[in-house]
Amino acid sequence: MNLAFIGLGIMGRPMALHLLHGGHAMRVHARRAASMQPLVDAGAIACASPAEAARGADVVFVMVSDTPDVEQVVLGPAGAIEGAAPGSVLVDMSTISPVVTRAIAQRLGQQGIDMLDAPVSGGEKGALEAALSIMVGGKSETFERVRPLFECMGKNIVRIGDHGAGQVAKACNQIVGAVTLEAVAEGMTLARKNGVDPAKVRDALLAGYAWSRVLEMHGARMVSRDFTPGFKARLHRKDLRIVVDTAAQLDIALPQSALIAQHLNALVGMGCGEEDSAAVVKVLEKMSGAQA
Amino acid sequence: MKLGFIGLGAMGRPMALNLMKGGHEMAVWARRAQSAQPLLDAGARAFATPAEVARNSDVVFTMVTAGQDVEAVVLGQDGIVHGARAGSVVIDCSTIPTATIRRVGMALREKQIELLDAPVSGGEPGAVAGTLSIMVGGDETVFERVRALLACIGKTLVYIGPMGAGQVAKAANQLALVVSIQGIAEAMVFARANGVDFEPIWKALMQGLAGSKMLEIVGQRMMQREFVMGIDASLHHKDAHIVLQTAKESCTATPGAALAAQAFNALFSEPGTRWDSAAILKVLEAASGFPEREGR
Repeated sequence: MNLAFIGLGIMGRPMALHLLHGGHAMRVHARRAASMQPLVDAGAIACASPAEAARGADVVFVMVSDTPDVEQVVLGPAGAIEGAAPGSVLVDMSTISPVVTRAIAQRLGQQGIDMLDAPVSGGEKGALEAALSIMVGGKSETFERVRPLFECMGKNIVRIGDHGAGQVAKACNQIVGAVTLEAVAEGMTLARKNGVDPAKVRDALLAGYAWSRVLEMHGARMVSRDFTPGFKARLHRKDLRIVVDTAAQLDIALPQSALIAQHLNALVGMGCGEEDSAAVVKVLEKMSGAQA
Repeated sequence: MKLGFIGLGAMGRPMALNLMKGGHEMAVWARRAQSAQPLLDAGARAFATPAEVARNSDVVFTMVTAGQDVEAVVLGQDGIVHGARAGSVVIDCSTIPTATIRRVGMALREKQIELLDAPVSGGEPGAVAGTLSIMVGGDETVFERVRALLACIGKTLVYIGPMGAGQVAKAANQLALVVSIQGIAEAMVFARANGVDFEPIWKALMQGLAGSKMLEIVGQRMMQREFVMGIDASLHHKDAHIVLQTAKESCTATPGAALAAQAFNALFSEPGTRWDSAAILKVLEAASGFPEREGR
């Protein structure tokens, strides 16, 4: 198949390489030319704009940082919409607003271009190992057409529902993950402030109802004080902002999500945006004067 | 060994029975005589007061509801302290504030009676199956002496640290639970407000970093809107406030726990209902105007 890939950062680059290794032709575009080099070395064609990359493609992939970036590369000047042919599919794998996703899908639909929202979870490691979880929104038959391409990049591939549903699932994932992170951080802080060894508390909790993947992975980082990312705090903050913004657009109360968004603001404000988001425990410790 | 057991409710009764299955003699006391009957049928002896139970035991277990109940059965009139010999051991399995257990431990130490705080997690099914997780605080040599007894009622036995450390671990456990229950409820409200069915989302989330035992158990009850059976929310409500009390005493900011406690407060605004903790979903739905807004 003829593919296009727009956005070649730490996630996009390995994902695009997996697609190339799947035997597909690829045109790529990235803001910085240097980001395109590894793909060009592997046989891809570098393009000056998203529109140029999308020209002639059956499927156009987008993997950028934030909602305005997707709007820019898809609908902006020289955006993918200007190059993509009717009957082609645009697959946005970025994590962005479900509300904006629906609007973009509608615009593309007017030009006969079908869209899937397909945000991923699993981080850089999952991207490198082609083991991402992919949550997909859009038409069922479009999903089936693109499924073999998803299988080049991920392992758990679930179609959740119509346009935007993939982004909703990703937001739910971020809510549950981030609120659990807050829970684990508070538990570790309560133990430390009471003079009790957080490592032993974590061991005890892992055996019971409080088990979670976050307690296992982020809890270990909080105990060892190793905040090498992982998932950077500033990106986690961006994802929570999408949740809180969407909640405001839809008039829904998400009190715990709002709280953890504040703590991630504080963490980035402390200069720890490049650390793993498990470092949010430092915000709680600072509040209570309990630095380890 | 000669054992005593005080507090034969939904948790205490099966725990005491499992200790008896381990081949130990058992002396019991319960506020309501009928609670003791299944134990008497199994060969236990009933006594009129906690002090009498202690007089006939090497190790006395207590499993009651609140901090004041522990204080009453241990230090009150006819309490354990008035019957227990020097060198005997009291093991409190209740979930109570750390400060209370430290106070009780200090009073017992004056009479050379040892105390372990050994709160459990795993609920009634864990108590019946003898597979509880037990988090122990107190003197480590005393813990080693009674380890074989704890192995009759639990599978995961973790020595956490000195007196009160078991309660700190349990508080941390409950903190992690109640905050994550609210997180799961928020995700469900979010999906509903966006018009997306939660079930495929739940499947995707279970595979990833958001996976947890609570998402598995409480998440399913929320989807089935099964709000009555299961984990008694009044216990999580009580425990959330123990967390806040312990946080206050140790001057720790636990904002998430404070928020979750508020949601549990709101849940019990309808008096007399027995809720499962999954019912927290109803509180969050009500906050955003569900189900009425779907009719608009």
